[in-house]
Amino acid sequence: MVIDLVRCVGCDACTVACQTENGTPQGIHYAPVFRREIGKYPQAKVVFVPTLCMHCENPACLKACPTSAISKRKKDGIVLVDQDKCCGTKACMAACPYGALHFYDHQSGMYGDTLTPPEEYWLQKFQVGTAQKCTFCAHRVDRGEKPACVVTCPTNCRIFGDLDDPQSEVSTLIRERSGTQARPEAGTNPSVYYLR
Amino acid sequence: MKRVANPFAESLVMGSKPQTIWGVPHSIWFFSMGIGGALFLNRALFGIDLGRVFGLIVADVLSIVLISFAGLVLISDLGKPFRFLRALMNPRTSWISIGAICDFVFLILDGLWLIADLEMGGQRPLAGLPWAGNSPLGIIFQVVAGVAAFIVIIYPGLVLAYSPSIPFWNTTLIPLQFLIFAFANAVGIALIFAFLVEVPRMLLMTWAVAEVLLLAVALLLFLAHLLNGAYSHPAAKVAVNRLIKGDLRLFFVWGALVGGLLVPLFLGIYGSLWANPGAGILLLALSGLISLPGNWFSKYAVIKAGTYAPFL
Repeated sequence: MVIDLVRCVGCDACTVACQTENGTPQGIHYAPVFRREIGKYPQAKVVFVPTLCMHCENPACLKACPTSAISKRKKDGIVLVDQDKCCGTKACMAACPYGALHFYDHQSGMYGDTLTPPEEYWLQKFQVGTAQKCTFCAHRVDRGEKPACVVTCPTNCRIFGDLDDPQSEVSTLIRERSGTQARPEAGTNPSVYYLR
Repeated sequence: MKRVANPFAESLVMGSKPQTIWGVPHSIWFFSMGIGGALFLNRALFGIDLGRVFGLIVADVLSIVLISFAGLVLISDLGKPFRFLRALMNPRTSWISIGAICDFVFLILDGLWLIADLEMGGQRPLAGLPWAGNSPLGIIFQVVAGVAAFIVIIYPGLVLAYSPSIPFWNTTLIPLQFLIFAFANAVGIALIFAFLVEVPRMLLMTWAVAEVLLLAVALLLFLAHLLNGAYSHPAAKVAVNRLIKGDLRLFFVWGALVGGLLVPLFLGIYGSLWANPGAGILLLALSGLISLPGNWFSKYAVIKAGTYAPFL
């Protein structure tokens, strides 16, 4: 994926779309948009930084997980957490340089412990006491669709494609606009590139 | 009650953020594992056995109790405690997994060896067991348990050091600190025992010198860690600032550096040089006693000081 920071207007539509698509528990946002202040008055400005799991080539979370609950799909490199295997050490959260892991430690909804019917439906797929993370909408990718955050973005700042194909839109953008990875010194080789 | 934990996303402003996922249970885990492993190694390598209780070697009993306790603390902190055996599944890359395996190996092998070494009324009723004492199998048990104990001491430090997200932790100085402080505490416990049970003066002085040297090295390692943090990464510098002049100052400067290292170091040197053996032993025992909470404070402060670096 490529994220064009110049285009992002900080509308949070991606965050909401992700939550709607995945039904994540309250407080868990797989695709938050951070704000970064640059410069000083009178030249100060705010840059919006859309994020998600970087689905790294060399994931720190996968290495740190003692239960092998985190795996990387061979066909497309998507990094997934198997909740049935996770024992909740939070080692993945301590290891991930991108804050992409979340710990779900108590089930409750908008109105406290009493869940609404939609919450009952959505929350049954999340196990309390386990780590949660962005799946790159693997269920949509398997159907040949793009992730929810990508199709919802009104400014088209999230571009999804195949990094292994040198002719793909994402590869071309990275090449032409010198796309950079987040914290390359961490040695994780993220699959998400940022354009500035 | 807080439903989720993701310290990075608690504020949507990109910047250095303190980790809030690990804290007191993890500092107890790191502290107990370290001392447990070091007590065993001190007994196995240097013969510091601390006598016997109910016919069993005290150093080994304490080792097993401390490591078991640390394991239980870790298990109780898991999101899914009944899945703890799954933590043995990824020894290829996960230090928690390697450490958990070593915990079990140590507890089983040293436990078996200890039982075979039981002494009752001057007799060893289980000396006939194939792994008893210095039999070939007994030596193998001791060597494997020793290797496991060494890993048990350093793996918590390696868990932190292999965390690329938190620059302050991302240094080999942490496992070294854990190692040295654990041995200093194990010798400190021997000094406390020396106050309660008579120990030859020569042996006592050897322990005192070892304690002083280990505490001095630990102090140097902490200073090196602070220097490294201050000049390596902005997020590590934030951690150093929190430790020396921020919210963790009480734990780190006063609890760990002054209370846990400088004062015991001073007491150790003074106690070794004291002409009156009785008063000298008291000072040495105090040195050992005070360094124990100091070690825990150092672990707690270093864990809490962990700060995520902004990633863009």
